[in-house]
Order: sequence, then C-alpha cells, then structure tokens
Amino acid sequence: MTEQEVIELIDSSLAEEFELDRADMTPDANIYEDLGLDSLDTVDMVIVLEGAFDFKIREEESVRAIRTLGDIHQFVLQKVVEHS
Amino acid sequence: MSGLSESCKTTEVDGCWTLPVILMNIWCYGMMLFWTLLCIMVFPFVLGLCKIVLRWPVDRLMRWYIWIYGRGWLLLMSPFVHFRREQMQHVKPGQPALFVVNHLSFFDTYCMGLLPVYDIIFAVRAWPFRMFWYSQFMRLARYMNVEDSSWFETMENCKQAFVNSGAVLFFPEGSRSRTGELQRFYSGGFKAAIDAGVPLIPLVIDGTDILLPPGRKQLRPCRIKLRALEPIDTGDFSGTDGPLRLRKLAKERMAKALVEMRADRKDR
Repeated sequence: MTEQEVIELIDSSLAEEFELDRADMTPDANIYEDLGLDSLDTVDMVIVLEGAFDFKIREEESVRAIRTLGDIHQFVLQKVVEHS
Repeated sequence: MSGLSESCKTTEVDGCWTLPVILMNIWCYGMMLFWTLLCIMVFPFVLGLCKIVLRWPVDRLMRWYIWIYGRGWLLLMSPFVHFRREQMQHVKPGQPALFVVNHLSFFDTYCMGLLPVYDIIFAVRAWPFRMFWYSQFMRLARYMNVEDSSWFETMENCKQAFVNSGAVLFFPEGSRSRTGELQRFYSGGFKAAIDAGVPLIPLVIDGTDILLPPGRKQLRPCRIKLRALEPIDTGDFSGTDGPLRLRKLAKERMAKALVEMRADRKDR
C-alpha cells in the first residue's frame, strides 16, 4: 500500500466508525477537540485500526500520546512499515 | 396495580405535581438520605463483623454491602415503583461474566440490586468517583474508573475479577440516553469479554427514564423492568473485527428486547 492509500484507509475507517465529516478530517485536527472523540473512544479507535490493517496494537504509551489525526497517520504508517 | 399504572401515565407530563408525585418525592428523597447515612455509619461495624465471620476479602465484602444497599433502595422505592426482573435464569452466581446494560437514568446502578448476584465490579466514568459520599466505597469495591485509567489497566482489572469468579458490568453507551433510545455503543466492554474469554450477558432496563431521566430532579411513579438476555459465547468472536461484531449483535438483541418491553408498557 502506498502512504496515501494507508491514510485514506485510516480516514475512511474512522469516519465510518465515528460518523465523522470527512471535511473536518485534516491532519492537524485534534481528535478530541475538533473531531469530538473522547477518552473512551481510544479503545474503539484501536479496534478499528486493528481491523482495517490486520495487526495488533500494543503500544499503549504511543496510543495515549496521540492528539491529532496526523499523529494517527504517523503511528499507523510506522506500524505498516514494521509489518511489511 | 391499575392505580399505579394510571399514576405512571398521568405523571409522564413534565412538571406534573399530582398527590402521588408529591408524596413520592418527600418519601423517596427523605428515605434515601436516611438509608445512605445509616449504611455509611454502620459500615465499619458490619465490615468488621463480616470480616471475622465470613473471612471474605474487603473488596468482595464491599460489593456485597453495596448490593445490600441497592436492595434496600429497591424496598424503599417499592411503594411508588413496581420492580420486575425477567429471565434471571441467565445470570448464574459464581460464574465469571461481563454484563452490558443500557443507560437511562442515574438510578440504573441502584437497580442492579435486582440481579441475583452481588459480586459485580462496575466499570464507570470518572464522575461517579467525584461523589464524595460514595467514592471511598467504590474504591474499596475496586470499581473501575475507565475514563482515567489506561485500557490495559482496565483489562487487567477485568481479568482479575474473572479469575475470582466475579463479574464486571459496563454501560456501553457511556452516558445516559436523553431520548430513551439506545445510543452509540463503545467497544471497550465487548473487547474485554472477548480477550478474557468470558460470556457476555446483555441486560436491558426499562422504566428508569420515567422515574428520573437526565435533567430532571422530580421522581415519578413508574414500573421498572430489568431483563437478562441469553449469554453470548465470546469464543465465536475472535479476529480483529470480533469486538465490532459482538457489539453489533448485542446491540441488536438489546434493541429488540427494549421494543418488546416498551410494547408491554403501552399495553397496560
């Protein structure tokens, strides 16, 4: 998958799960303040990403540090490289 | 029974202060305060006595005590609220399970006293821990603050509860419904059940939205029903999409049960 395809899959998966408006999903969008997610959504986010990319996410500290959609892109891109 | 039913219907209008409603609010709020203070004051003696006689760990004793407190609340409300529990054969004492229940009112947690098991750890948001008169008891009972804890901590706590043959209860909506309908479900509880390999038991509560919905302080007479649905074997939900499939199945069954229970409400 290309980087752009990975980002597209992340955004489409999150948009479907959390009913997000794609127009709001810019890389610098804060997932809590701009996209309206809350701390309990973190688990759902992990589950959705695991399902979309078929890998396990166990890096708790990295997940907790995520603040923006761009952070999610970078986190997943790194995981994809590790698993390729 | 028909008198109570009529009272329920007439008090559905917002702001309606009929005589039964006035009496109910005086009685229930007064008795709740009395019962809460009594339970707090006698707690050290009960804990000490039970510790010696039963030799249970403190957290288990605390959960039992909270369950007794809930049962007392049910009794005190019973002159104005008709409680009914359904299909409780699905809930077996001493068998680890994860319960999920819909959320309509502050009093939903008290209604868990209708369950035939007491050893349940509640997984809740941070705000209930800010009620100072309850917070110490919740901590002693090892209730989980899922908002301020990491997911991995929550998972470990769930597994520990299951090892001790206890149960964990989640409100998958995360907050009280303001429409009475099921809201979006968070997946955390479903993932916990799958990861621990314990059955998921959906519970459906109806009627507490009439008793005290979000944003109102006036209690109203009503009928409350708590129904246990058939346990779901989480072994069939492996794979990365397992929690989402389990969540969807549980929500479908709960929505169907809620419709049935409300049709029954209208028939009366």
